[in-house]
Amino acid sequence: MVQAAPARRSRLLLAGLVLAHLAAISHQVDGGGGLSLLQRGLLATLSPLQRGVGAVVGGVAEAWRGWAFHRETFLENRRLEARVRQLETELQARSSRAQEAERLRDLLALRKAMPLETLAAQVVGRDGVPWFRHLTIDKGESDGVALDDPVVSPTGVVGRVFAVGPRAARVQVLLDRDGGAGVLVERSRVPGVVSGQVSGPESGAEDLVLNYVPERADVVVGDVVVTSGLDQIYPKGLVVGRVRFVGKGAGLFRDIRVEPSARFDRMEEVLVVRQAREPLDTPRSVE
Amino acid sequence: MSRAFWTAFAIAGAVLVETALGYLLASPGRYLDPFLLVVVYCALVGGETHGMLAGAAAGWVQDALFGGRVLGLSALAKLVTGFAVGAGAGRFLIASAGARALVVLLATVADVVLVQWLASVFSVGVFPLSPLGALSRASLNALVGGLLFALVDRRLRGSSR
Repeated sequence: MVQAAPARRSRLLLAGLVLAHLAAISHQVDGGGGLSLLQRGLLATLSPLQRGVGAVVGGVAEAWRGWAFHRETFLENRRLEARVRQLETELQARSSRAQEAERLRDLLALRKAMPLETLAAQVVGRDGVPWFRHLTIDKGESDGVALDDPVVSPTGVVGRVFAVGPRAARVQVLLDRDGGAGVLVERSRVPGVVSGQVSGPESGAEDLVLNYVPERADVVVGDVVVTSGLDQIYPKGLVVGRVRFVGKGAGLFRDIRVEPSARFDRMEEVLVVRQAREPLDTPRSVE
Repeated sequence: MSRAFWTAFAIAGAVLVETALGYLLASPGRYLDPFLLVVVYCALVGGETHGMLAGAAAGWVQDALFGGRVLGLSALAKLVTGFAVGAGAGRFLIASAGARALVVLLATVADVVLVQWLASVFSVGVFPLSPLGALSRASLNALVGGLLFALVDRRLRGSSR
């Protein structure tokens, strides 16, 4: 009897909170895309934590390796091993710098090759929950990143910005279930739309699905798929991937799987394409 | 220090762990949910009200930093999970490490089922976890949670003496 009041209170609180959450989710779903004020605030407040962790993890790992290696060195030959360690560290640092330089060179080459204004960004977070395919980058609104800006890598299209904070932004990767892009098969110019698969990685490779390609369309395994520019988000001609499987679909369309060119799981740097988008209702000049 | 402070501290720790795992694994969310460990511990120690409030707070942070376009799915799932665990802890004796690990396992499965159900209700596109994927995630969560809870309890007992 005495405990009935607190129990009732907590159940009322539960009911209230559940209703508030349902209302909040419904509001976002009804509202469609874009960015809520709450998401923007939380992202702005918490993203510095994520950026700081990269430095801390690197420092701790380096300190641990250094301690273990030093102990072994002391047991064998302190002076000689110290020299070896120094050389190996230098070699590793140079190798790491060379790899980084190579990645940045690729990025720079892509940047020069692109007629659009781009911004280099570092990936600071990825796939914290298993239900989505997203990345967090270290550039935000103060750097000029805007909602729906395309994100690319030297190997191919990565995705688009779906949430922007002052100094960080979140990117929806093409593989995401709600991701997608208007594309063309480069050889035969057959148009279509690529999107993420329904099933997760347990069911096989994470391929893109090429939708709305008619049964008689000229598409073969190995064809390169590029963006068409028709979705008003991705600029025309960026490489998306390569056709990996062509089969008979259930309806009027073919079942086509595309292996993405971008290596999403090992991505460290990306380019954000800052493009001045024309509104959809603005007529474009034929010239 | 207040309970709210330690809960916020633990959630901040979960953010750090999740972000750090992102540097080591391609998709850490498939293997471990540190936010849920915080929620379950709060519910076991503080009861249903603390469990559900911690669940809502942890879920919102997880949604904002690691979730999709629609905020609140993880928050609602963790809110309900936190309440259920807290209510269960008030009725049953869940003191041993094994029992707590079992609670974490069940809570992880419940969280996965709730998120996927809510996503389907609100037509949010998600990659559903296979039963095997969900079970392996729950098992790893249970293992890590069981060890972590035992460590925290030992530490708290040591400091209270």
